[in-house]
Amino acid sequence: FHGNPRSGQWELVGPRPPLAAMFADGTAPGAAVESLWRSARSARCEAKSCQTGTISTAEAAVQSQTSRDASVQTDQSKDAVQDFQQEVQVDYSSLLSFLQRVEDAVIRELNKNWRSRAFDGFEVNWTDQNETVLCLHTLSYPEAQDQNLQVTSVSWNATGSVVACSYGRLDAGNWSTAKSYVCTWNLDRRGLNPQRPDLVVDVPSSVMSLAFHPSQPSLIAGGLFSGELVVWDTSRTEDPVIWRTGMTDDTHTDPVYQVNWLPDAKHRNLCRLLSVSTDGKILVWREERDGRLALAEGFAMVAQQIPRSAQLRKFAWGEAAVGVTSLSFSHFDPRVFVVGVEGGYSLKCSTAAETLALPRTGSSVPLRAPADFAFSPHGGPVYSVSCSPFHRQVLNLFLSCGTDGQVHLHSMLQPHPLLSLQLSKKYLFCVRWSPVRPLVFAAASGEGNCNNCFCFSGEVHLFDFGKSSQKPALSIQQAADESPVYCLEFNARQTRLLAAGDATGTVRVWQLSSDFTEQGPREMNHLEQLASEITD
Amino acid sequence: AEVEETLKRIQAHKGVVGTIVINAEGIPIRTTLDNSTTVQYAGLLHQLTMKAKSTVRDIDPQNDLTFLRIRSKKHEIMVAPDKEYLLIVIQNPCE
Repeated sequence: FHGNPRSGQWELVGPRPPLAAMFADGTAPGAAVESLWRSARSARCEAKSCQTGTISTAEAAVQSQTSRDASVQTDQSKDAVQDFQQEVQVDYSSLLSFLQRVEDAVIRELNKNWRSRAFDGFEVNWTDQNETVLCLHTLSYPEAQDQNLQVTSVSWNATGSVVACSYGRLDAGNWSTAKSYVCTWNLDRRGLNPQRPDLVVDVPSSVMSLAFHPSQPSLIAGGLFSGELVVWDTSRTEDPVIWRTGMTDDTHTDPVYQVNWLPDAKHRNLCRLLSVSTDGKILVWREERDGRLALAEGFAMVAQQIPRSAQLRKFAWGEAAVGVTSLSFSHFDPRVFVVGVEGGYSLKCSTAAETLALPRTGSSVPLRAPADFAFSPHGGPVYSVSCSPFHRQVLNLFLSCGTDGQVHLHSMLQPHPLLSLQLSKKYLFCVRWSPVRPLVFAAASGEGNCNNCFCFSGEVHLFDFGKSSQKPALSIQQAADESPVYCLEFNARQTRLLAAGDATGTVRVWQLSSDFTEQGPREMNHLEQLASEITD
Repeated sequence: AEVEETLKRIQAHKGVVGTIVINAEGIPIRTTLDNSTTVQYAGLLHQLTMKAKSTVRDIDPQNDLTFLRIRSKKHEIMVAPDKEYLLIVIQNPCE
């Protein structure tokens, strides 16, 4: 259309004149502009070129022909006992006058302090308070998970930066020839891949328990389903196995459920290994030169030799099964230890026991009967015992837990428990005291027979006697699909961390909140008070 | 003899955990604690006392340090300074 206004509406601008009078067709000549840039450009351009000088190159190669290895290792320091009191010349008269001058002031201050209430309830927080419990890492080994293996044991190493777990099956039945794995992750390493362990060791039989060496960060000991013990050195790349017991007459005939390192009383740098198994034997092994572990001493638990306490007479002793499932050493007397047995009893034992166990064949070293005190039993096998690391002379506490879902707090001095807590209706597989707070412990719960209720299995319960003596301060659900938690360990160096392994084959590293890791001002007194309140 | 009596009197006071006497160079002379703990306390508190003394003197040159008390969650450490010696008493005030 020619000439219509571009507004899209029909507008009447007055009467419409006839079209022919207003408009006419026509063509206009186009306009052309000459391009100037090309001619201008060619008027001003010049061609130039340049070439870099030749670069001289030469090839050379170097090959080292001989090499030597050297290594450096610091020795454990020997204690240097300085007897400083005899080296320094002391002028007794001036010392006496000094003491006489200050004695009154000091005594006055001591008295004031004793009576002062100025600081009651005054607490200072130096670190940021971490309020929540987080799951820092979820570690797993997919190949083991594909074979439906469960985590049977976890352990932290001496420096607190490496966590190791063993894969196996706890419900393996009579004889299992399944392979298993021991995996380690270094949590302080950059580029930690939770699905890929730093080291994987293939083990021909199921590993039931693990323990890192208390001072050498690369040695791990494991107890196998076949009853053997193996020690691996994780710093060796070719074959990590350095010692093993092999299948001799001395080895256990049942799975080894717990393995511990014992400091050797005579040689301070060496450690011996202690293994505990449901065949009733507790054996101590020492290292021989050819990579073997030889039996140094041993103990055997026999039902007839368990001491009978008058107060426990009503329990049937004859049928008490004495397969040992767990062991814990007392922190104040290194010769005293507590064991838990399948029959449900906890027993106090001593390494200094002299009486020989009832005759058993096939052992190169005579086995002794170590038990000297029995505590009242649980309603099912005891799976874990743990002695409190906060010790005073009167306060030898330990915890025991078992399949009846109860945790018993015992004092080593009396047979009946100080406290008996029904934590859950499910089996409790592991209980551990916290290494920093005297009032806190953790327990791992798992499968069980819950008749009608749809209960969540697989929890880690954290208990704080400072908050409540009846129920857990916190219950953490470990796995999404209700699988039981079989093992847990606190990290003694990085005291916020707690590792727990479950039946789906994952190890979770939990970071605890500050109220589980910072010791309050009067906790030891609180603990003693609790213990004495209950005994009264 | 009298020195021991005096120290025993202080040590027997309620709540006292340990008593240490160190000389002007920071070397322990008398102690009721074990060696390694004593050496640790002596070294650290000697330095801290020197720092506290210089702080007081810097603020007011006519003033001088008479007593130093450090209160922590678990203990109270009391230091009585002198020209030649230092008496350190560690007390647990919470019964």
